[in-house]
Amino acid sequence: MASVAQRALNRFRRRKAGGAEAATGSGIQVAPVEIAPNDPLVAYFQTTSGAVDVDNLDFDSPAAEQLKRSGVKLVVPLVSQGELIGLLNLGPRRSEREYSGDDRKLLDTLAAHAAPALRVAQLVKQQEAEVRTRERLEQELRVAQLIQQQFLPKELPDLPGWQVAAFYQPARQVGGDFYDFIDLPDGKVGIVVGDVTDKGVPAALVMATTHSILRGEAPRLNSPGQLLERANNRLFPDIPSHMFVTCLYGVLDPQTGRFVYANAGHNLPYVRSGNETLEYRATGMPLGLMAGMKYEEKEAIIEPGQAILFHSDGLAEAHNPQREMFGFGRLKEEMAGRPGGNALIDHLLDRLRHHTGHGWEQEDDITLVTLERAGGEGLFTSAPASIPGPRNLPVDGENELASFSVGSSPGNEREAMRRVEEAVADLTMPPAQLERLKTAVSEATMNAIEHGNKNQAEVPVDIRVTSNGDAVTVYITDQGGDQPTFETPTPDIEAKLAGTQTPRGWGLFLIKNMVDEMDVITDEHHHTLKLVLRREGEDHDA
Amino acid sequence: MTEATTATSVRRLNDQISVIDIKGEITAASESTLMDAFNEASGDATKAVILNFGGLDYMNSSGIGLLVTLLVRAQRQHQELLAYGLNEHYRQIFELTRLDEAIGIHDTEDSATAAAGR
Repeated sequence: MASVAQRALNRFRRRKAGGAEAATGSGIQVAPVEIAPNDPLVAYFQTTSGAVDVDNLDFDSPAAEQLKRSGVKLVVPLVSQGELIGLLNLGPRRSEREYSGDDRKLLDTLAAHAAPALRVAQLVKQQEAEVRTRERLEQELRVAQLIQQQFLPKELPDLPGWQVAAFYQPARQVGGDFYDFIDLPDGKVGIVVGDVTDKGVPAALVMATTHSILRGEAPRLNSPGQLLERANNRLFPDIPSHMFVTCLYGVLDPQTGRFVYANAGHNLPYVRSGNETLEYRATGMPLGLMAGMKYEEKEAIIEPGQAILFHSDGLAEAHNPQREMFGFGRLKEEMAGRPGGNALIDHLLDRLRHHTGHGWEQEDDITLVTLERAGGEGLFTSAPASIPGPRNLPVDGENELASFSVGSSPGNEREAMRRVEEAVADLTMPPAQLERLKTAVSEATMNAIEHGNKNQAEVPVDIRVTSNGDAVTVYITDQGGDQPTFETPTPDIEAKLAGTQTPRGWGLFLIKNMVDEMDVITDEHHHTLKLVLRREGEDHDA
Repeated sequence: MTEATTATSVRRLNDQISVIDIKGEITAASESTLMDAFNEASGDATKAVILNFGGLDYMNSSGIGLLVTLLVRAQRQHQELLAYGLNEHYRQIFELTRLDEAIGIHDTEDSATAAAGR
């Protein structure tokens, strides 16, 4: 008998359909019986206890009919916590006698043990399936992240006279934020900031497509409005119906500050002008919603000292535990009167942390891109006017060791370096200090050539080397005039590896660390970097 | 005087480790030379690329930027970047810029090879 029950249990198979299922034992080969959830037999088994004689079932039930036809004589419902989870089906006894009271008792005991065990097995299986689903979703997230990050700029554009900074932080569930800088003819740069509705792999793919369309068309189309129109018409036929892309595209001429832009439903860029924040507004429908849309094109001049901020929803729509949004108005207020560049981004992120508090799970991707134009009433650090200009050089008590000029062609910094080395040859500086001087001179001359004199070969970089008993001093002067020294972000290797800082931007940092003293001297027409290395600097420690 | 004077040669020590011997300068002008060498050094199974700076005459801040770009690429391809043969001055610059935290610095090729993949 026990062996029959055992076999029946062994043969009990879970089927994919919901509700309860059953199999039979006792050597009769029967297909497992499936019971529809609404079969009256289910309700009957749930309320009855112990083994049931199938032949005595006299209500209208397809499952009961099927059991009878299969030759099942006795059914033991397996009920766990009021739920029918399976049946033990037994055919006729092999001895051809009826099932005894002892048989039934044994079956009841077996069912009482089997039901919870079966329930546990079912739960384990269910949990395993959930783990697999979760792993699949995690994998999908990784893929989405990979696609998205693949298309973010690897470095920021190097625009003379502009401080460019960008920040991007995906939410755990990766939204569809993206941004891009596109090199255009005549030294102009295209700036893209966008957001794909929806999340995950589908959003990442639409983002990649949008990215390619914009990259491909931007150099050919001068007009931001036309570019968005083209992108919309190309996206519309293929984009999934519930998805669309908000996108702002603008073309900046770094020389003049002229910014021509169009907007496909993206957040308005903000422009900090002194203590005010302006909005750059242009109307247009998001990309991919409707074919044949037109995009308004506007134009503005970003004046010296102004900074423009492009931003996605992730910051302004971040909620605090009281469900209050950070807000667009707040974002504008926080920008006013602030320096631009990384300092602005740091400030905004700091205010965001303050708003959301600890333990905040980021709701959406955060993208911040900012460009600040040097000069004017800006918040760059300029050298104080009281410092004597290059015309007042040299200073009393210094021996002039050399004075020469090099043209502003890239590579001429090597010549400058060689001639400074020659000039100090008689001073017998310690070799390590000499190397530092050479690197500092080379870097400073490179800056003068590139930034001060804008690589114009005929414009000279003037170099003077002087010494006194205490120090060697090198003055490197370009014709850039009142060029304020940027408060460049301190290069940070981790930020660079994470792609949030350009891989470049080491020059000023190197110079400062190579010399004992670095000063900036400017007047209307000249910009001088003064480098001082003290003679006793043998144990110079950077 | 403005032309690039960078020469590289690539040696594959085995499937997993390659060496790029650098001669001359690392500046903005070395970008394509260095990136090509890196591509050549990166096989399907390459786990570590060792830069031999023994022949380095001059490196400037653009060159450092280039190494950062190289490092980003290596990390993306799950490859380790190591270096040896740096003179005292450039070693100091690696420390200043904290490049030495991301690129393993060694005295000899043997010690760089031994450290690769650990």
